[in-house]
Amino acid sequence: MPHDGIYMNKKLACGALIYGNSSWTNYWENQLFRENQNIGRLTTESMTAMLAYGITKKINVIAVVPYVRTNASQGNLLGQKGFQDASIWLKAKAYSTHGLSLHGVIGFSTPISNYVPDFMPMSIGLGAKSLITRGIITYDLPKHLYVNGSIAYQMRSKVKADRDAYLSGDKMYQTSQVAVPDAFDAALRIGYLKKDNQLELFVETFSCTKGDDIRRNDMPFMTNDMTMTTVGVYGKYQPKHLGVNAKVSYVVDGQNVGQSLGLSLGLLYIINL
Amino acid sequence: MKYLYSILAFFTLLSCSKEVDDAFYKAYVPAKVDINGGSWKTFIVASPTDVAISFPKLVTDAAYLKEIDSLKTIVIPGLTAAQKKAIDYWGAGAVLRWNEIGRELAARYNVPPASNAAGVYPVPNAADPLADPKFPFANPPYTARALAYLSIAQYDALVAAWKYKYQYNRKAPSEVDAAIKPLLPSTGIPAYPSEEAVVAQASYVILLAMFPGEGPFLKEKLAEAKNSVIWAAKNVGSDVDAGASLGAGVAAKVMARAKTDGMSTANNQAIVPDLIARSTSLGFVNPWKSQESPVRPPMLPNYGAVSTINFDRKTLESIRPVIPYLENTAEFKKDLAELNDIQKNQTREQAAIANYWADGPGSYTPPGHWHRYACDAGVAAKFSELRMARMLAYVGSALMDAGIACWETKYYYYSPRPQQFGLKTSVGLPNFPSYTSGHSTFSYAAATVLSSFFPENSAKYYGYAQEASDSRVYGLIHFRVDCQMGGQHGRVIGDFAVKRANADGAQ
Repeated sequence: MPHDGIYMNKKLACGALIYGNSSWTNYWENQLFRENQNIGRLTTESMTAMLAYGITKKINVIAVVPYVRTNASQGNLLGQKGFQDASIWLKAKAYSTHGLSLHGVIGFSTPISNYVPDFMPMSIGLGAKSLITRGIITYDLPKHLYVNGSIAYQMRSKVKADRDAYLSGDKMYQTSQVAVPDAFDAALRIGYLKKDNQLELFVETFSCTKGDDIRRNDMPFMTNDMTMTTVGVYGKYQPKHLGVNAKVSYVVDGQNVGQSLGLSLGLLYIINL
Repeated sequence: MKYLYSILAFFTLLSCSKEVDDAFYKAYVPAKVDINGGSWKTFIVASPTDVAISFPKLVTDAAYLKEIDSLKTIVIPGLTAAQKKAIDYWGAGAVLRWNEIGRELAARYNVPPASNAAGVYPVPNAADPLADPKFPFANPPYTARALAYLSIAQYDALVAAWKYKYQYNRKAPSEVDAAIKPLLPSTGIPAYPSEEAVVAQASYVILLAMFPGEGPFLKEKLAEAKNSVIWAAKNVGSDVDAGASLGAGVAAKVMARAKTDGMSTANNQAIVPDLIARSTSLGFVNPWKSQESPVRPPMLPNYGAVSTINFDRKTLESIRPVIPYLENTAEFKKDLAELNDIQKNQTREQAAIANYWADGPGSYTPPGHWHRYACDAGVAAKFSELRMARMLAYVGSALMDAGIACWETKYYYYSPRPQQFGLKTSVGLPNFPSYTSGHSTFSYAAATVLSSFFPENSAKYYGYAQEASDSRVYGLIHFRVDCQMGGQHGRVIGDFAVKRANADGAQ
């Protein structure tokens, strides 16, 4: 989650309600780029409540609660819905000089409903608890421009699947425990920030540290080694207490994932506590 | 810095806990040795001595003593860590491990072929098994049959092995030479021929025939399985060679039956128009239609013609479940209403049951699931290789018969799936007619046999069977009547295996 160098001031809170819509018609079955007429377009919609609070102007805490639902436009797979993984994050500015600043983020996320993790791609999440640590570096350029780089390691827990056996690679595991692989993500952003208004272009990569690939014509599974590269644009307009943000993202390359087009629109409100 | 260390320590802790608790088995001393096992009735070989093996060298013979010496001076002192690992793995049970391997292969091959650019589903080709689509598509009937022949070959070969073991009565190396300390428990069962080698070779022959693309994988397993008993100083090389030759001979006879059982025409699509015509004439307004896109031909429409193991054709037709409720009846509407209600209000528990028993693509199928339960029960009862194979042969043959009889029923009526009436599914929709439920038939057949072998666990097995049966309603892909009638059918099918088991002389 948080990957910016922006902080709420002390005792200032920002609440947000964000609608997200991410969908794909094509996906990478291992490396094979394909469509699936028995899925059509798979759409994942989300409504996310978020609260960021300034403990100090250099330390922020952020809490996130998403509600998610999935739907396939063709075929007969039943859509799933429910509260997904809630997360809490601590972000701190560690060092700052001459427009350069370093930040650290630590976050923990856990499913808050007992959703089905092993009915992919209809499942609303992977069911894993995660511990995410992220480093961020930002550098201010002239004329309110900035660059931002970040890298994160996502430690992910074992998950109890509904089934009591599964294949991972060529090996049969006779247990309901599934080890969801850990993952890295990294991003580079360049943007314009004046007061609270912002426009940003970004490229992100995500990849698991290990995992297996989707077998030919099989369904995805939580053990898959998912990788993807996403590009996008983000904007925020906040004239006063009330603001809006919007994001468009598109997966340009990947493995064991869908080629998602993501859209989100958020309503922001700043509260002085 | 201190914080950094604590964070690193925390990370390491979490990474270490990432190992999953996979099933664990270890070697045990069998509860019974069954000296008269060689007289038990076999499934396919006419007599236990149908396949001959040579008279073993006496334990005083120079050639035998050389084998003993080799155990002491070469094998035991030279044991590597990998060899010890192999001893532990195979020592848990030859029948158990080959059953696991069969299930793993079934899971790896259990994916329906993808359609090609022309919208056609290519048929897997046994002559080119690793091309796309791979051969076989190890769907439930295929897997039931493969595992049945595997267990039957193991059992028939072990009956023959027991016959020779107690006929020749050649002791295990550690009983011949007290200086030899075997790495596996001493069973007191005569060593010639090696039961592990019998099972390994018989299993290899069957599994290679069923999964012809897996030659290198199976060859490696075979070599390791046979060597493991020598590395453990449980057998000498001549015990193993005799076992392998016996296992191969018996498995060849089992494969001769398998090759002519009708499987080669199980996917005959030419009969489909006649099946649909019969369905219509029986009163089905909407016979089954594939819900896939592009439309996929029905899976194994002629599988019902495969020869059953425990009863004949006439019996199969006489026990076929009666026609289900037709579309415009009140009973049908009630079943449909139940599904619509579950679709709207499916509980998490219903979803969990549906998922637990789904055993869909990428799994070892319901027959594999029941083989696993059977293996676990045999291990808990400390069954010898012979008793384990016997129990699995009855469970396996009941599952195979259940598959055949259920498929015969499915294609006799060619009845529609709930998805033809607007329902979705939370487990994935199989591409063949609805009535009766394969899961229900398989599960009740297996539960019936397991209940006969383990009466103390009867309630547990029937409970599982009912849950597996319900799971198809909860998953929205079967009407209640499909499951009820399938379950009843399964019990009858299981009873034939039980009747046969009660008369094989092993009681």
